[in-house]
Amino acid sequence: MKLIRLFILTVSIAALASCSKYLDVVPDNVRSLEYSFHLRSEAKKYLHTCYSYLPSFAARQSNQSFFGADEMWAPETSIPSYPSMSIAMGRQTAASPLMSYWTGSGSVPDLWEGINQCNVFLENVYSVPDMDVWEKDQWTAEVKFLKAYYHFLLVRAYGPIPIIRENLPISTPIEEARVFRDPVDEVFEYIVELIEEAEDGLPMYLLNEELEYGRITYPIAVGMKAKILTYAASPLFNGNSEYADFTDKNGRHLFNASYDPTKWQRAADALKVAIDVAHEAGHKLYEFQLTPQTQNVSTITKKQLDIRGAFTERWNEEILWAHSSSFSPEIQGHVMPILMARTETYNVPSGGGTLGATMNIANQFYTENGLPLADDSGWHYNERFDLWTATADERYYIQPGETTAALHFGREPRFYANLGFDRGKWYGRGIYDDNASFHLQMRSGEYAGQRQLNRYSLPGYYPKKLVHYETRHTAPTTFSAISYPWPILRLNDLYLLYAEALNEMHDGPTPEVFRYLDLIRERAGIPGVEYAWLYFSRNPNKINSKDGVRQIIQQERTIEMAFEGERFWDVRRWKTAPLELNKPIQGWDAHQSSVEGFYRVRDLFDMQFSFRDYFWPISENDLVVNKNLVQNPGW
Amino acid sequence: MAKQTILLSYTNVYEDINRILLIMKIIIGLLLIATMSLSATTFSQTITLNVKDVTLKQVFDEIHQQSKFGVIYNDKHVDASKKVTIATNKMPLKTFLNKVLSQQNMTYRIKEKTIFVQPKAPEKIISTLHVNDNGRMQQKGLKGKVLGKESTPLQGVSIMIKGSQVGTQTNANGEFAFPLVETGSVLVLSYTGYLSKEVVVGSETMLEIILEEDPESLEEVVVVAFGTQKKTDMVGSVTSIKPSNLRAPTSNLTTALAGQAAGIIAYQRSGEPGEDNADFFIRGVTSFGTGKVDPLILIDGMELGTTELARLRPDDIESFSIMKDATATSLYGARGANGVIFVTTKQGREGAAIISFRSEVSRSAATRNVPLADPVTYMKLYNDAQYSRSPFEQPHYTQEKIDATAEGLNPILYPAVDWRKELFKESTINHRHNLNVSGGGKVARYYVAGSYAQDNGVLKVPTINNYNNNIDLKSYTLRANVNIDLTKNTELIVRLNGNFDDYNGPIQSGTSIYNQVIRASPVDFLPVYPKTPEFDYVQHVMYGGRADQDFINPYAYMTAGYKDYNRSLMMAQMEVKQNLAFLTEGLRFRTMFNTNRISRFDILRSSSPFYYEATVTDRRTGEYFLNRFVEGREYLGFGVDSDLRQQSSVFYLESAMDYNRTFGEKHGLSGLLVYIMRSGLDSKSNSLQLSLPFRNMGLSGRATYSYDSRYYAEFNFGYNGSERFHESHRFGFFPSAGLAWTISNEKFWKPLKDKVHNFRLRGTYGVVGNDQIGSATDRFFYLSEVGDGSSFGFGKVVRDVETGARVTRYANPDISWETSYKTNLAVELGLFNKIEILADFFQEHRTNILMSRSNIPSTMGLTAVQRANIGEATGKGMDISVDYNHSWASGLWLQARANFTYATSAYKVFEEPQYEKEWWKSRIGYPISQQFGYIAERLFVDDEEVQNSPTQFGGNNIAGDIKYKDVNGDGVISQLDQVPIGLPLTPEIIYGAGFSIGWKQLDFSTFFQGSANSSFWMGGSVTQGGTTTTGPVNIQPFAEGKQVLQAIAENHYSMDNPDIYAMYPRLSTNHHANNMALSTWWLRNGNFLRVKQMELGYSLPRHVSEKLHMKNLRLYMSGSNLFTISNFKLWDIEMAGNGLGYPVQRVFNLGVNVTF
Repeated sequence: MKLIRLFILTVSIAALASCSKYLDVVPDNVRSLEYSFHLRSEAKKYLHTCYSYLPSFAARQSNQSFFGADEMWAPETSIPSYPSMSIAMGRQTAASPLMSYWTGSGSVPDLWEGINQCNVFLENVYSVPDMDVWEKDQWTAEVKFLKAYYHFLLVRAYGPIPIIRENLPISTPIEEARVFRDPVDEVFEYIVELIEEAEDGLPMYLLNEELEYGRITYPIAVGMKAKILTYAASPLFNGNSEYADFTDKNGRHLFNASYDPTKWQRAADALKVAIDVAHEAGHKLYEFQLTPQTQNVSTITKKQLDIRGAFTERWNEEILWAHSSSFSPEIQGHVMPILMARTETYNVPSGGGTLGATMNIANQFYTENGLPLADDSGWHYNERFDLWTATADERYYIQPGETTAALHFGREPRFYANLGFDRGKWYGRGIYDDNASFHLQMRSGEYAGQRQLNRYSLPGYYPKKLVHYETRHTAPTTFSAISYPWPILRLNDLYLLYAEALNEMHDGPTPEVFRYLDLIRERAGIPGVEYAWLYFSRNPNKINSKDGVRQIIQQERTIEMAFEGERFWDVRRWKTAPLELNKPIQGWDAHQSSVEGFYRVRDLFDMQFSFRDYFWPISENDLVVNKNLVQNPGW
Repeated sequence: MAKQTILLSYTNVYEDINRILLIMKIIIGLLLIATMSLSATTFSQTITLNVKDVTLKQVFDEIHQQSKFGVIYNDKHVDASKKVTIATNKMPLKTFLNKVLSQQNMTYRIKEKTIFVQPKAPEKIISTLHVNDNGRMQQKGLKGKVLGKESTPLQGVSIMIKGSQVGTQTNANGEFAFPLVETGSVLVLSYTGYLSKEVVVGSETMLEIILEEDPESLEEVVVVAFGTQKKTDMVGSVTSIKPSNLRAPTSNLTTALAGQAAGIIAYQRSGEPGEDNADFFIRGVTSFGTGKVDPLILIDGMELGTTELARLRPDDIESFSIMKDATATSLYGARGANGVIFVTTKQGREGAAIISFRSEVSRSAATRNVPLADPVTYMKLYNDAQYSRSPFEQPHYTQEKIDATAEGLNPILYPAVDWRKELFKESTINHRHNLNVSGGGKVARYYVAGSYAQDNGVLKVPTINNYNNNIDLKSYTLRANVNIDLTKNTELIVRLNGNFDDYNGPIQSGTSIYNQVIRASPVDFLPVYPKTPEFDYVQHVMYGGRADQDFINPYAYMTAGYKDYNRSLMMAQMEVKQNLAFLTEGLRFRTMFNTNRISRFDILRSSSPFYYEATVTDRRTGEYFLNRFVEGREYLGFGVDSDLRQQSSVFYLESAMDYNRTFGEKHGLSGLLVYIMRSGLDSKSNSLQLSLPFRNMGLSGRATYSYDSRYYAEFNFGYNGSERFHESHRFGFFPSAGLAWTISNEKFWKPLKDKVHNFRLRGTYGVVGNDQIGSATDRFFYLSEVGDGSSFGFGKVVRDVETGARVTRYANPDISWETSYKTNLAVELGLFNKIEILADFFQEHRTNILMSRSNIPSTMGLTAVQRANIGEATGKGMDISVDYNHSWASGLWLQARANFTYATSAYKVFEEPQYEKEWWKSRIGYPISQQFGYIAERLFVDDEEVQNSPTQFGGNNIAGDIKYKDVNGDGVISQLDQVPIGLPLTPEIIYGAGFSIGWKQLDFSTFFQGSANSSFWMGGSVTQGGTTTTGPVNIQPFAEGKQVLQAIAENHYSMDNPDIYAMYPRLSTNHHANNMALSTWWLRNGNFLRVKQMELGYSLPRHVSEKLHMKNLRLYMSGSNLFTISNFKLWDIEMAGNGLGYPVQRVFNLGVNVTF
């Protein structure tokens, strides 16, 4: 009895005594934001965090521009695989914007979040104790650049955006957090300013390329700055009268309605600097270096490899900046047609062979004389839909003895290097003797044609450009892609932009314009602009007018940058989209098995582009939450 | 039944026995009267009393005061207001009682410490019979025996011949005899604690009469928070369910809850063994936070989860209480806002061992399977759908294939698969067995029970595998409750409980296999191909599939492996009760320690399927070859499912001091102070913050005062804290108070007392909290949390990859528990001693609901949502129960009961975007599970109408697609056009009604249960591969290989049937964004009424069972979910949104219950 009383008493005293601390269960060192800047190793993780908001351009679900324009097409049932097709098909809505950087919806990053993270980094990085100042400066510069780049991605998609110079504290009253959109000129100005702030801290070369490729360098910063200035000078943002009435809630004009030619001057100057810096850093146009496997190839095939490698050869000398965390194996799988012989079992990666290139883009490629199809007096324009049979002369392009459209004959090397077509050769994929190369058979029922639901190219072309020449199916069930990080900025891009800017800033073309275009054309294996137009074209005067040269530059850019996602933005920037994107998407009739049936041009989709499509809609919810925002016109 | 008055007190001899124990023992006493003969104990206590003209009640009070014996009488039979005069000095108790009661023609018996008083029946038969008018009267001798529960003889039962003064009472063997009695006369049997019974005398000369226990007397004591209260003293709102009402032919207790008690909203959405827990809420859901909304479940004082409740066996339950209002729950402070379910298990009773055994075997089958269209229809409709959308494409299925399939030609070339038939059996057989033994001596009492249940699924098992992939859930329970009297003043109670589930089943849940069936093509391939000579070497199952696109072969899914899981709950509890009467009278102390451990692990053994495609080489001969296009793995691999792994331990301590005393004779006073501590750890943590212990501590108290059994007041409080909140908010005070008035005990009520024996009003108001806010995986809102962000890598070959950091929660030190202000008003009405009506009306205002801030602009770039306690909601409703008991002279008895619960909720403060124009988008004022969607007007008549109508979704609409109403008139159908549609998803009304009827050895009972005021989406919610889709998309034919529901095949818009109100719009072979939007087109009413239970029982006559050496043997047949009335025919409507899952089962059951 006594024992029990004692026991109860003890227990209750013990229980009551422990009260104060009992509910305090959280230990002191629980991870909080401060820990991210206590040590260099943790701060470095945060540096990676800032980089991690770079959109995965190589991912088919995350790149708006793959299908948003008229370059690639697939059966409508593939929309889950290629969500940007919805944009091309006019299904963008303000209720739930597709692939929106503003809200981070549809597999694209939330860039406001990315900017927030950059600001957190910038606020705290100088407090890290175990870091040298130069390293803090370098990291700060990298993050400033990223912050500027994220602003650029937003302004490119949305036009005027609020500039986020610093993070608002969490406790900011909601009213103050309701920011206004800033005019595009101010946004571009801020972006350029930020990159210029960053330039000093950035290295010319990476100390350890093996480990650091993908980090921002000085050539990247000046290169991107120049490209961004070109956007700012382009008709969409420079004196765009269509948006003259677009004002903010407090009456501020968001677009500058008067054209300012000095913007082109500024862009051209920046591009010149960028090109010089790139050259200084060792960048040059890519040329394929023969390997033991390929040492016996013909010059034709060698040229093909020059062209194909410029994009797919990882970290080649032409690349200034590539996305070191966005790799291409999956997209290659989608582009790679099923090339296995009929008796073999095939099992391509899910979606394999689905991703087609359109006839619209295929027809942009020049003739072998480096001219648009209709302009080349030496090319069989009127017979282009006839069926021709290839001879040994075309053996490196088309399988001899096989029949295909005349359209596929006499084209420039980039056509053959960048496109897979029926009876066209596909060099590589494990076979390095270019006399024994595979060729595609793409008619219905053939091994690279429609044998399976959805696993074929609907328009009858494949964007071979995206596939590394060594990428192949190694066994019935495995697919082996030579992966490459997705290039974001290459030297050829700067050349083309420089030519464009020079043409715009002067009243007519200058030799400089043709010099830079010819550098590109030389690598592409076609004659220079002046030579080609003077000697082969039906319209040699075109190269004398500013407008004519502008068209030439634009087509050159379309071809050179095809399938990289540039065209989607370029046609908007040039304001040529209403013309270019209001055409039906065309292709061969891939459902047909006969030659005659297959080579009939078919309209696949009636593409529409209207004024509102220049910019993304801001989601209705964002407008309701922040009443100070205005919707983009047309939405 | 008439109200009974209990006076409670304590004997000198057993001065240390505390009140709770006494109450328990009174109950035990009542029950044991049936089983034990009264022993002539000599009592040593004496009474000294000298009074004149006082009421009998006052004398009883005095006896109670002096002897500490409780006095129980039935005021229908005993008029306690009679005046007596007596003078004694130290008169022995029995002599005193004889003296007092014999004057009043009353008698008594003493059991343990309780005196039962009842009218005295004449010892001898006085024959005052007269001859009947018609002269056909027969007189004869009559003998009989009266038996109570478990066929134990009852001694001292009063038996009167109706309309006369003739009567007798039973002897120690329960026997009685009338030397002369006329046929047709009516015997009236009455016995305290049992229902009165009237028996018509027929031709027989030997009667065996069984008396039913009075449920009222059993419910006399109600378990309330940390204690018990007399039902007549209750101020708060607590409902008790009779454990026997929870006995259904399932091994899941929760499935029997719906409609059983006023105040519970319950429904069962799945019939899959192991996954069939019902959802239940007390008085609905009044919080829209993502936190806990279901009640706190306490089993023997220990907080446990739904599954632990589900595994309880009704045979082991002593009491099942539902605490609903603030007074009943505020002692649980920050954890009681959603109501409390409190279950206590049985304890041993003094006496010889009573062994009870129950065994049941049942056949269970789906109540309803969703009918699917046959393969030929499937193909025809596919082609129709394709033609209507893309008229120039080749038909997907050739006419030749359709014709050949219809003719049933070569099934390899023309597969026509009824997946459901391939996968599922018609029915399955389940068992349940339960054995319990209870008894004890003076020092210790025990209750030991063991049970075993086996539930099987309806999945087929292929002969090619030697493992079982069907669901086989075995659950075992072992329970031992032992009470030991350590000293006269100290009782020690030890409860041990183990609960073990052994499961064997498919890798995926049965529900997902059912879901797969809807997604498998019936015509593209066979489930399994027979071996061809080419594949003679093959040891594996040759599953069918198609190489060219995604496909689902549910058969492969189901049979390619199996899974085991073991789940155990171990609970050990020790309680010490100490009477502190030596300090002051009525004071007691008790303390309880408890620990429980739950563990679960899942082991998966799976092979990976090989898939084959058949390619025809010669259409005429049917020659074909098989092509293996997916290489699998023949041998089984091993895996563990760490998502389901659980290991958790809980420690709990509860100490209580309580005080209970009556002063004078009218002032009842009681007080209670409880201290609790609880700490839990869970291994299933995937973050540091989650791994930290869960803790609660607090002090709670109760004070009650009653005056003259007429006026009652009660005050409760909980002061407790939770580890989840910032120091400054860690503790909260939750007070509540209530008043009750028993009008029927007022003097002026006397004249009405015959008709209205009970009329009582109660009202309470108070505050209760809920600390389990946010998701289960989110605590410590006052701390920020930083987790891993996306990773990013640099480098060419050697990669420098780092995982980023990301704030996953911004700190908000102000976040605290939800607070609920509850009001309850109740009326109790007892009519004609037969009908008891109890009606509660409640209102609740819940504040501090945790919400995500929705109006923070995206441009802030926050990586996590901000949260704050800003939401408010209200709830209101009523719950009503009606009970009816009656016995007829013929021996027929009837018990009927009905209850009705209505609970509705409304958003009051909800942070949502402020729509300037689209006011209809606001949730304010709508119920919490209100659905929003588009208004579907009808189907488009023609393509021209599509062009001329507001822009719909998808941009590919044609005639026969759904036309939505452009509510805001902006020419575009967008989210702004969504309006509240239909009724909430959670039913607002749950009701149940049933009756039991018995006659001689036969008894029959049935129970109906219904649900109303709810809506659900056609297609419901289906989770596949971690993503949940809701709505019609789950039944959308063809897209993602889905089958066609028969109902859709029969009634959809087509060229042949251009019905703009067809059940299904125009078919599409692909996902059709426009038609699949959530709209009124797809909302269905969830109302139903079903026969939930039906039972027919037969008890062996006593003379037969005695020969078999049994006390009682009852055989019964029961069924559940036998019949449903509802407008919805596609699937069992109770499953509502889970209609495509594992169906609710209809069970036919045979059982036997033997007591030795």
